[in-house]
Amino acid sequence: MVRFLARRLGMALGILALLSVIMYLLLDVAIDPLEELRTDPSPNRDQKIANRIALLDLDKPVWIRYLNWLGRFVQGDFGLAWRSMTPVNHLLTTAIPTSIQLVFASTVIAILLGVTIGVLSALRQYTPFDYAITFVAFLLYSLPIFWVAVLLKQFLAIGLNDYINDPSVNWALVVGLSLLSGLFWLGALGGTVKRRLITFALAFAATFGVLAYALGSGWVQHPRIGVVGVGAVAFATAFAVSALFAGLNNRRALGAAFTTAAFGVLAWFGCQWLFFYVPMNELRLLGLLVAAVLVSLLIGWLWGGPDRAVSMRGAAIVAVATSVMVFIDRVFQGWEQYSASGLIRGRPIATIGAATPGLNGDFWIAQLDKFTHLLLPTIALVMISFASYTRYQRGATLEVLNQDYIRTARAKGLPERLVIVRHALRNALMPLASIVPVDFVAMVGGAVVTETIFSWAGMGSLFVRSLLQGEVDPVMVYVMIVGGLAMVANLIADFLYAVIDPRIRVNA
Amino acid sequence: MNRKLLAAATSIVAGALALGGCTPQAAPTTQPTSGAPSATGEKVAVVAWNQAFESYNNNTQDQNATANANITYLANDTIAYYDKELKLVQNPSFGKYEKISENPLKVKVTLAETATWSDGTPVTAADILLQWAALSTNLNTYKATVGDDGSVSKPNEGDQVYFNAASPGYTLMKTYEVGDNGKSVTFTYEKPFVDWEILAAGPVGVPAHVVGKKALGETDNTKAAQAVLDAIKNKDNAKLAKISNFWNTGFKFMNMPSDKDLVVGSGPFVITDAVEQQFITLSKNPNYKGAHKPKVDKITVRFIADAQASVQALRNGEVMVTQPQATADILSQVKALGDAYTVQTGEGGTYEHVDMAVNNGGPFDPKAYGGDAAKAKAVRQAFLVSIPRQKIIDNLIKPLNPNAEIRNSFTTTPSASTYAAIAAANGMQAAFGTGDPAKAKDILAKAGVTTPPTVRFLYASTNTRRQQEFQLIKEAAEQAGFKVEDKSAEKWGSILPDTTKYDAALFGWQSTSTAVGESDANYRTGGQNNYYGYSNAEVDKLFDELQVTTDAAKQTEILGKVEKILVDDAFGTTIFQFPEITTNSNKIKNVSSIALSPNFFWNAWEWEIA
Repeated sequence: MVRFLARRLGMALGILALLSVIMYLLLDVAIDPLEELRTDPSPNRDQKIANRIALLDLDKPVWIRYLNWLGRFVQGDFGLAWRSMTPVNHLLTTAIPTSIQLVFASTVIAILLGVTIGVLSALRQYTPFDYAITFVAFLLYSLPIFWVAVLLKQFLAIGLNDYINDPSVNWALVVGLSLLSGLFWLGALGGTVKRRLITFALAFAATFGVLAYALGSGWVQHPRIGVVGVGAVAFATAFAVSALFAGLNNRRALGAAFTTAAFGVLAWFGCQWLFFYVPMNELRLLGLLVAAVLVSLLIGWLWGGPDRAVSMRGAAIVAVATSVMVFIDRVFQGWEQYSASGLIRGRPIATIGAATPGLNGDFWIAQLDKFTHLLLPTIALVMISFASYTRYQRGATLEVLNQDYIRTARAKGLPERLVIVRHALRNALMPLASIVPVDFVAMVGGAVVTETIFSWAGMGSLFVRSLLQGEVDPVMVYVMIVGGLAMVANLIADFLYAVIDPRIRVNA
Repeated sequence: MNRKLLAAATSIVAGALALGGCTPQAAPTTQPTSGAPSATGEKVAVVAWNQAFESYNNNTQDQNATANANITYLANDTIAYYDKELKLVQNPSFGKYEKISENPLKVKVTLAETATWSDGTPVTAADILLQWAALSTNLNTYKATVGDDGSVSKPNEGDQVYFNAASPGYTLMKTYEVGDNGKSVTFTYEKPFVDWEILAAGPVGVPAHVVGKKALGETDNTKAAQAVLDAIKNKDNAKLAKISNFWNTGFKFMNMPSDKDLVVGSGPFVITDAVEQQFITLSKNPNYKGAHKPKVDKITVRFIADAQASVQALRNGEVMVTQPQATADILSQVKALGDAYTVQTGEGGTYEHVDMAVNNGGPFDPKAYGGDAAKAKAVRQAFLVSIPRQKIIDNLIKPLNPNAEIRNSFTTTPSASTYAAIAAANGMQAAFGTGDPAKAKDILAKAGVTTPPTVRFLYASTNTRRQQEFQLIKEAAEQAGFKVEDKSAEKWGSILPDTTKYDAALFGWQSTSTAVGESDANYRTGGQNNYYGYSNAEVDKLFDELQVTTDAAKQTEILGKVEKILVDDAFGTTIFQFPEITTNSNKIKNVSSIALSPNFFWNAWEWEIA
């Protein structure tokens, strides 16, 4: 184990060293720090060039500059962005959190959505539903993000903001979306013709109703969730989680989930007072979330029975979902005030940046501002990465479903739900174990194009900006961070394999 | 069990709903948002710029960028500023300048009583002298020089005085005299300097008292300014070293500094908020006593690198003004925005031109014809006449700026007031016209050139517009009887000084001011930007004369003469001014742009929010 780790780390360091040499040499060829001075007509240009050569050691051979850089780098001094004479270490302290903020939500959503749809698609293999999902996945996969981003801005930001200010319902669009939803659920749930028709009708009616209500009642202009919305989501989650992971026959698990949901609704009232009197911050909210999970685990434990873990797990999931809803509900309570602000002027959905400059609201207004700025980039990123997760998960699930142990499980009479959730899903998650760590690490590297288009100052835009301005140090740090983390991610993936699959040992 | 459960759940929900009556209604929405229109009615102008602010001292060499210059312009007053016609307009509320004597050139700068820093400290001679000490580099004990082996000595910033700046005009100011109770400074130039007025227009940079406080540890504002003044007067190198260190790097900030001293300015606005790479906000300066009283309360500059993104942000109401890099796509997009927006097309500060090498034995060098200078000149003329200047403008520039015209001056930008006189005097339009391959062919034939001369043509290979220009030039030149070789390169800039690699070059020079002396280095024998071996004693003499001519009318006359010679010698040709597209929402009024920095910020105090 230790030997394995040491060998892998040694290899990683070697690769990083090689990477740094190659990148440094390539950058030396590609970057001309004197570029704009060459077309500078001012009479003192030679002096300026001399100064810059002195600053950047350009009179020294490239390997000397590389060794100097390496010496500083291993001591933790990442160098200087010389155009602004800012230490790179300082730039990283804002760039890394920005990138994580931008990519975190979209990565989580894409994984959840991708896995779910992927499994569904595999279960309905070779049905029109499967084909449709495959088609959509490939379509999204091939969309260039800069184009998606421009369209999103046009329709979701500018269009929606225009609608908010001048509501006129496009009924054709509403009917179209409802039809799509009907078809999706029809395909996803399957069954006999009669059941499908019912599913379709229900899904169509539900979507149409929700959309019509949202548009007709002015909900879009003044979005609200309220205790009713929180409660609905809490109980729906409780039902779904129990049905999926415990089975509705497991009354204890069901009871634990519902008790947690009820507790969540009660907590909503408490939270309103709490939020009123106690100014919130991220840390306190995190504390509340932990408290909620602990309470839910306790509820699950108290319901007892032979299979406590299942009850506790289900309750915890419900607690997390409910907590998130309580949080979102509180954030949306600031909507009116936010939207009416002189800086927003009734156009809440933003197309650029991470925050509205000069908006001096409290914590909740700031969260809402973050929401409106994160909306478009998150959707864009989800659309792109969702596709690959779906494909991976579909392939993995299909392979697992053909295994002998699945046939055995079915043969011994296990309900299909248990076959899928207990035997197939867990094994089918194996391939994702090698993708997800890498994707999470890629968050730190940022999304170069997305950041540029949405004017986010994360790692990606730091990289591009530095490259264009001829600053070697920030580019090198970017490369080293992304390269280093990629190796760490691979290591983690190997360990995850061993954890999920006992047949694999990490000693080899 | 199940039923009990349901009953319990229902009762909980029912109880919860009942409790709803006693929740804090609509939650506490009492926190003041400064932007709430009902609360304050603050007028905020939000504009986009494609680069981020990085330093408040853009007089240093390394921090000299338009993005910084725009902000310092908003936060500081000058004695004179450029108006829309690029004329210097006086601002007596900050000060005045006058030429006291012609030879030696003496310039007196006097600050007005109303000139005040935003912390209440008056602007004084100490501030002027700090700017002089820094920009002239006359007090530097260290100078960066390139040795014979290409090595560069490095400044030791600990104990050496080293202001990282360079201004040839300031360097000429060798002596000074403080007068009027510390409100005026008279500078004596070592030799006359043609662009003295541009230097005198902005005599103050960063506040001396802030530098004194930070670098010398003074606590009182007046004493701090005096300490800086004394250090400069007494050439106290120990203190000057500290001052120069702080001046070089002390004003670098991208986020709002906790130390409010760093944002002290003398202008109508003062920096009040900044987030790295995102935005910077300037608010009305409450202590401002000058003439440029702003009509908006705040200006926020958001940094949006992507041109398309800035147009969509404009459409979405997130910014009110944007000036993205001009392309045909961007123009059609902003035009499609509709009536609620105003699109202004105009000329930027950069101009495209073709230069030719006469020192490389190539087709434009007399050496190629056994020293026959007349023949070489005829070949140059033929090549220049063939260049389809009008077609380039019609095809590539007019779509961006419908009013675009051929630029007919080597030295003066078309939006300058002296342009017409100079263009009339130089005869460039008559000599090179709009592009006439047939006439070019005639000239070649008359000169007795029978084998087609081969022209190696250098331009930026990564620039699409220059590629298209090259195609047009090549086509026309080949009709005229030239052979044109594509020598485009990505690193064309580093090839430029080496004329053995090319015969003609197409690129842009960027003007940063209306200084008439700026063109000197381009055309003088052995001039810094004269890579081509061009030499004409007459031109050198005229430039010598220009350098010591401080009379504006006389300057125009000399420039006209210089350009006439350049045209007659077929030095090269200018083609067009880079186009610029400024778009603003009609919610903001009085927005227009000038070709030089600070671009559309030039009249920010006139902006009004409807």
